[in-house]
Amino acid sequence: MHATTIRSQRALAPVRRGFVRRNLPYLLIAPSVIMLLALIAYPLLFALRSSFYFWNLQVGPEPMAFVGLDNYVQALNAFDFRAALTNTLILSVLGTAIEFGLGLTIALVLLKALPGMNVVRALLILPTTIAPIVVGFLFRYLYDPGGGLLTWVLQSLWLPVPAEGILGSPTTALAAILFVDIWQWTPFFAIVLYASLLSVPDEIIEAARLDRASAWTILMRIKLPLIRRTATIIVMLRFMQIFNTFDTVLVLTRGGPGTSTRTLGYSLYEQGLVNFNVGLVSAQTWITVLIVNIIVALYVFFAFRNEEW
Amino acid sequence: MTFDIGNMSRRNMLKSASVAALLASSAGALVAPRRAGAEDAKTVRVLSVEDPFFFSMKAMIPEFEKETGIKVELESLSYDALQTRLVSAFVAKTSDADVIAVDQMWLGQYLDNGWIISLNDYIAKDSDIDLADFIPEVLYSSNMWRGQIATLPVAAYAQGVMYRKDIFDSFGIAAPPTKASEDWTWTKYVETLKSLEGKSFGGKPLFPTVICGSQPSPITHMFTQLSASHGANWFKSFPGAPWDFSPQLTGPAWAKSVELYRQLYKLSPPEAINYVWFDAGTRFAKGDIGMFYWWTPYFYLVKNNGYMTGKKSDVMDKYATAALPKADGVAQTVSLGGWSLGVPSSSDRQDNGYAFIKWATSKATQKKMAEWPDLNFQFSDFARKSLYEDADVKAIYPYLDVQYDMMKQGNGKITRPPVPGYTAVESVLGLTLNQLLTGSEDPKTALERTNSLFESILKGNLMIPYQKESFADTLDGAKALIGTLGKA
Repeated sequence: MHATTIRSQRALAPVRRGFVRRNLPYLLIAPSVIMLLALIAYPLLFALRSSFYFWNLQVGPEPMAFVGLDNYVQALNAFDFRAALTNTLILSVLGTAIEFGLGLTIALVLLKALPGMNVVRALLILPTTIAPIVVGFLFRYLYDPGGGLLTWVLQSLWLPVPAEGILGSPTTALAAILFVDIWQWTPFFAIVLYASLLSVPDEIIEAARLDRASAWTILMRIKLPLIRRTATIIVMLRFMQIFNTFDTVLVLTRGGPGTSTRTLGYSLYEQGLVNFNVGLVSAQTWITVLIVNIIVALYVFFAFRNEEW
Repeated sequence: MTFDIGNMSRRNMLKSASVAALLASSAGALVAPRRAGAEDAKTVRVLSVEDPFFFSMKAMIPEFEKETGIKVELESLSYDALQTRLVSAFVAKTSDADVIAVDQMWLGQYLDNGWIISLNDYIAKDSDIDLADFIPEVLYSSNMWRGQIATLPVAAYAQGVMYRKDIFDSFGIAAPPTKASEDWTWTKYVETLKSLEGKSFGGKPLFPTVICGSQPSPITHMFTQLSASHGANWFKSFPGAPWDFSPQLTGPAWAKSVELYRQLYKLSPPEAINYVWFDAGTRFAKGDIGMFYWWTPYFYLVKNNGYMTGKKSDVMDKYATAALPKADGVAQTVSLGGWSLGVPSSSDRQDNGYAFIKWATSKATQKKMAEWPDLNFQFSDFARKSLYEDADVKAIYPYLDVQYDMMKQGNGKITRPPVPGYTAVESVLGLTLNQLLTGSEDPKTALERTNSLFESILKGNLMIPYQKESFADTLDGAKALIGTLGKA
């Protein structure tokens, strides 16, 4: 019995090894695929199914009726959809562009071997480690019209501050939310871009300098093209993150005054976690997913059209 | 079968060890719940909101544990987080708690969906609950749905007026009355505020009043007191039967209330457009506000410099409370709200849950909560009549007569109807009101637009036409139920 077992094990071993060798790549990525399916595909498909049903937890615990595209029609015709989409696009485009510009500037400064840069690098990462909801509360006090630090700074610089306060006026509230995002996430760009710039070979820069290329030319013609892939990816990631912003909006303005700071993320929060309208929020989720993916697809297409992606 | 350990590879050995460890831990896990089960029977998990009442209730819990031998696992969350967690647990049919804090606006939804149990049977069998001691208006507004008492009130709120005695004395303004009166009207209230316009006090510019402007809930909570006082109804027929949720925002009472609220905003600090509940209260506590109306917990919260800080505010000994004004020729309706405790149907320790609720809402515990000295004495939100006549408690909270008078005029089902889908229509109303405060749009036009949005939302939520059974939900019916259950 013992001998037979060992013989058969030895006979099977090459077969098993061959199977493993042939399928090793699939086996290695299998856990990731299973995780992705469980954590991303399943919720999205569940939301897709729910979006075709009338399912409001305030009215009943289970889906009550198949309603076809009614939830999508309701979502697109909602009183706040247009304002929320416009504000979201403004925040996402401006936020990403400004954070990238400032982050790149800081990264270039960090490359200079100035005294104290190690401390600066360590401090830079701090804002990104704070939860957005905490950042929201912090800025609520900084923007306070009755003695908030930022209000005081603006007044000291003779800049006009609305009587209703920075967060109370439709003209300044969205900019105030944008500023919070820039404060928190510019360091992220700075650190990532700094790490990428470090990988640019010194010899190329030296050669360019010997050819009397200016600092601007070196940046535009050598450094940026060499870090383009990293830059493109973090721009895409931040764009998608800002597109879903809701926590700072919730703490700072609750979408007001009026609809001036309402974002798609805030509307999703309101429909899902305040109104508990599962069907409607599922439709809104899919509309948001489609908008983001169309924008990102266009962005990726234009960013990488001349190279392999 | 033989096991040749000599031929065993290191990998196989590691595998075997891992499986053995997993089995051992699983066996432990299988045994552990049974051992914990015996202890669990002597435990009650309480999930609460972190409103002012929570802190004094928490301080009293060792007494409950001593009296009953039941260990309390108390957890608190913010309003939004609590509702999200509860609904998630209910939908997933998991047992997350044995006692939960329930806002009056969630009651109908929770009971209709079978997420919490009716307490009628428990109350009927309980000879010492003293149900008749509860203020009927409170039970009706916050705890009853379709003839069931599903929760009991741990903190009941009405609305009332707070004003600065020293400022009124200084400018020779007559103090507002402590009892409701035909002469104390909203028109008179605004006139009084206008007499404070442009004035300074103690070297600081004074604002006559302060309002909540933030959407959707804070502004709706404050505005609906004004609209209810003017006789405004949200729907064609609710809470009386048959239920008809056709919106009624185009009525003159709504437009008049909006005009009045706009006037109040003009007399407030401009930044009040972004004020949530506690912003208005803490602003009064700062000392530059003459008079305002708000939920009765602010009767004691304004003693703090900041929100629940325990540090004494500048106005601590300088303010007094008064009755809410009423509208000319309209019977007063005061907004009632607050927090109650209920038992989830998923709980497997419902008896413990009821025991905790009975204890927390009892006269004795509520009195001890009121006498807890921390945070400048932070609890007078009684739903029991007897506590409004208790000399010890009245010595700490001298405004209790005013508060009780407001409670007796309360009707939470009219001011903010706790109907399915309420939050969706509140979002729209809150937004409209917020826009109207800063904009110049005609209230009538804005309200007509909001009425259409209400109708569309309510139709989308299958509320128009209403397809379920109606219930004649009246205060008299509530009193009858209290009598029946109390006598059983």
